[in-house]
Amino acid sequence: MRVNTSSQFAFALGLGLLMVSCGGSGTSTTDNAADTLAVDTTPKETELLNVGGKLFSIPSPVQTALAIRKAGLKYQKDLTAPLEKGDATVGKVAQSTALGIYSADLAYVTVHKDGQRAMATMQAIEKLGGKLELTNSFDKALLDRFKTNLGSEDSLLQFSGVAFRAADQYLKDNQRDDVSALVLAGGWVESLYLTVSDPSAAKDQTLVNRIGEQKNSLNALVELLESSDKEKAATSLVAAMKELQSLFSGVSSTYTFQEPVTDAAKKTTFINSTSTVTIPADKLAAIVAKVTAIRNMMLA
Amino acid sequence: MRRTLLFLSLSVSIASQAQELCGTIADRCEQHITKQYIPDGQFYRALLQGDEQAEFNLTLFGGTTYRVAACSGDSDGILVFNVVDKDNNVLFSNKDQGNAPYWDLSVTNTIDVRVEAGLDPTKAGSGCAVMLIGFKK
Repeated sequence: MRVNTSSQFAFALGLGLLMVSCGGSGTSTTDNAADTLAVDTTPKETELLNVGGKLFSIPSPVQTALAIRKAGLKYQKDLTAPLEKGDATVGKVAQSTALGIYSADLAYVTVHKDGQRAMATMQAIEKLGGKLELTNSFDKALLDRFKTNLGSEDSLLQFSGVAFRAADQYLKDNQRDDVSALVLAGGWVESLYLTVSDPSAAKDQTLVNRIGEQKNSLNALVELLESSDKEKAATSLVAAMKELQSLFSGVSSTYTFQEPVTDAAKKTTFINSTSTVTIPADKLAAIVAKVTAIRNMMLA
Repeated sequence: MRRTLLFLSLSVSIASQAQELCGTIADRCEQHITKQYIPDGQFYRALLQGDEQAEFNLTLFGGTTYRVAACSGDSDGILVFNVVDKDNNVLFSNKDQGNAPYWDLSVTNTIDVRVEAGLDPTKAGSGCAVMLIGFKK
C-alpha cells in the first residue's frame, strides 16, 4: 500500500507527538492520537517501528543444548561448525546465519564445559559481529568477561544471552530485521542439527519429542524470514525452510488443558496442561536429512 | 522534493527518538530478568496506541521455569499481558496480579502459547511495549 506524502508527513508528525507524550504523565491521549494515527498500516510502510501486530519468538539454542546434555548424548566437538568458516563468509545472509550457527555452538560447547572451545567460538562470534557491525554487542569487554569466567557455565550462558539480546535490539532499532531473523534461523537450524546428528537421539523419546515440538517455532521462523526479507536475498533459504516445514506437517500433537495453579507469593504460575507429540519414523528421517542439508547450505 | 527530504529527516529523528524511548524501557525491564535466568537472546518490542495489542506465539518447553517481563512507560505496571493456550484458555494474566511487571511460568509439559500485551488504558494511551523472556536451567 502506498501512502501519499502529506499522509506520511501527518503520520510522522503524529508519531513524533506520540513519542513526546509516551513518557509523560500516563494519562490517556487516545482521542488526539487516534486523529493523527488513524492509518495503522503506515508504520509498516515507513519501517520506523512495528506498531502493534505480531512479534516472533524462537526458542533459545541454550534450551536445546541443555536438553541434549540432559539426554546424556555424547559431546561431539566435531559436530560444531568449523570456526574458520566465519572468516570466509561473504554477504549478509551467510554472515548472519553463520553468527546464529555459532550462537548455538557456543551454547552446546558451554553446557558441555568445553571452555577452550567456548572461548574460541566467542572470538569467532566477535569477528563476525564486526563484519555485521554489531561491535556494540560483541566486543573485547565481552571477550574479557568471558575469559575470566570460563569456569562458570551459568555466567557464560548469562553473558551470551545478554549479548545476543543486545544485538537483537540493536538490529531491530536500526531496521535490520532481516539480519535479526537470519541470526535466529542459523541458531535454530544448528540447534536442531546438533540434536539430530547423533543417531542415538532417535532412540531418546524426550529428544524426539523436542524435535517435534519445534513445529510452531519453525512456522514462526518461516513467517519471520519471509516478512523481513525485503531485498529477496534469502529466497533459497526460505524455500528450503518451507520444504522442512512441509516435512513437519507430518508431526501430530495433542493438547489437554488443565487448570493452572498460581502462587502469588512466589510470583509463579504452574502450568499443568498436558501434551503429546508424534513423529512417524520416516518423517523423522526426512527431517534429519533436510536439517543437515539446510545447515550445509548455510555453511557452504 | 523538499517535502520528501523534510519527511525523511523527520522520520530519522522520530526513529531515533523511538529507539531511545524503547531503549530506556528495555534497560528497566532487563532488571526483572535477574541472574538466575538465562535471557532467550531476543528483544520483543512494539509501539502501541489505544487498545492495540502486540502478540507472539511461544513454545514453552516442559520442565522449564520461564520469567516473562513486560514493561512500558516510565514505571512498572503499565503493560497488561496474558498468556493464552491454543484453545484460548487464559493461563495467566498479570491483570489479576496488580499488573505485575514480571511473572514466572513453571511448565510441566511442553505447550504452545500466545502472549498478548496491551497498555493498561487507565495508565497510558500510547507507548513502547517491551517484553523480555528468560528461563532457569
